[in-house]
Amino acid sequence: MGNILDILGGIFLVVGSLSLLIASIGIYRMPDFYNRIQVGTKASTFGLLLIVVGVALISPITWIGKLIALMLFVLFTNPISSHVIARAAYFTKVPFTKETKVDKLHDVISEGHMKKVKNNG
Amino acid sequence: MGKKTLIVLLMVAMAAVLYPLYESYQGSEQLTELGQYYADNGVQDTGAANLVTSVVVTYRGLDTLGEVTILFLAASVISFFLSFKKEDRKESREIRNITEILTTASQVLIPMIYMLGVYIFVNGHLTPGGGFQGGAVIASGTLLMFLSNPDFKLSHKVIHYVESTSGVVFVLIGVLGIFMAGGFLDNRILGLGEVNTLFSAGAIPVIYTFLGLKVGTELSNVLGIFVESQNEQ
Repeated sequence: MGNILDILGGIFLVVGSLSLLIASIGIYRMPDFYNRIQVGTKASTFGLLLIVVGVALISPITWIGKLIALMLFVLFTNPISSHVIARAAYFTKVPFTKETKVDKLHDVISEGHMKKVKNNG
Repeated sequence: MGKKTLIVLLMVAMAAVLYPLYESYQGSEQLTELGQYYADNGVQDTGAANLVTSVVVTYRGLDTLGEVTILFLAASVISFFLSFKKEDRKESREIRNITEILTTASQVLIPMIYMLGVYIFVNGHLTPGGGFQGGAVIASGTLLMFLSNPDFKLSHKVIHYVESTSGVVFVLIGVLGIFMAGGFLDNRILGLGEVNTLFSAGAIPVIYTFLGLKVGTELSNVLGIFVESQNEQ
């Protein structure tokens, strides 16, 4: 029984690392910042999750609680941080690649996306 | 093209300069006498399962105290240089609206991050990590607080109280070591307990807790100063 779990876990680990490899190749190959961050986030989140699942399958009893917490943490933080970084890049006018045709965010934000904050301190 | 050639040339030159170092390097197969002592007696002496912690907090605890002082000095210098005169500050500044995704997620994440920080420094004597790392994690939670809520303001009073209290307690525990155990910062003023349990290793968890609080509040304070010194309209 333990043997089957080991093999399954190994498969998960390999697929996860392949996904991370694809992510890193993608970061190198993609034309502009936005494509890169998209590739990096999706593939690396997926790869990390697969690796954690693989580890959970290989030693389920000792690690499962911590690993579930880890999975949730990755699922929460990775996409959100990329979202915030990409948004900041958009507003600081990091250039698009020349092939860009659609810019939906530009249509959504018109005036009034700035907000006044009191300086206190 | 010229720039790239230059970079390659620079790399080759660096390699040529550094190669003799690599060539002459010989890793030592054995621990030094001191390292051997730590490895043999560390767990017995301090009761800490994590040998690094036993060295950092107990054997070389004085150096850690020095590191904390350096961090404190750095934070003080930053706050000294970045503090604005009140009359120079503008009334308000304009920022982009924070995305809903970030504000919603931060409500879940901030407590989790703080908990992780506390976990790291409370378990410093069992697992890798400790006061400095836990404190840095706590400060990153504060950073998320600043990012997700522009009106958030750090209470300097609380920060200063927590920081100075932790510093004083750290030194007091050290001094207690002189009277109740073998010397300054000796951790045997509390029972050593059973190795590899949470309540073990004498005073190490206590020291690390206050160290974590101190580092966390110091770094949070630096972040707060950075945020407050933003002055553009």
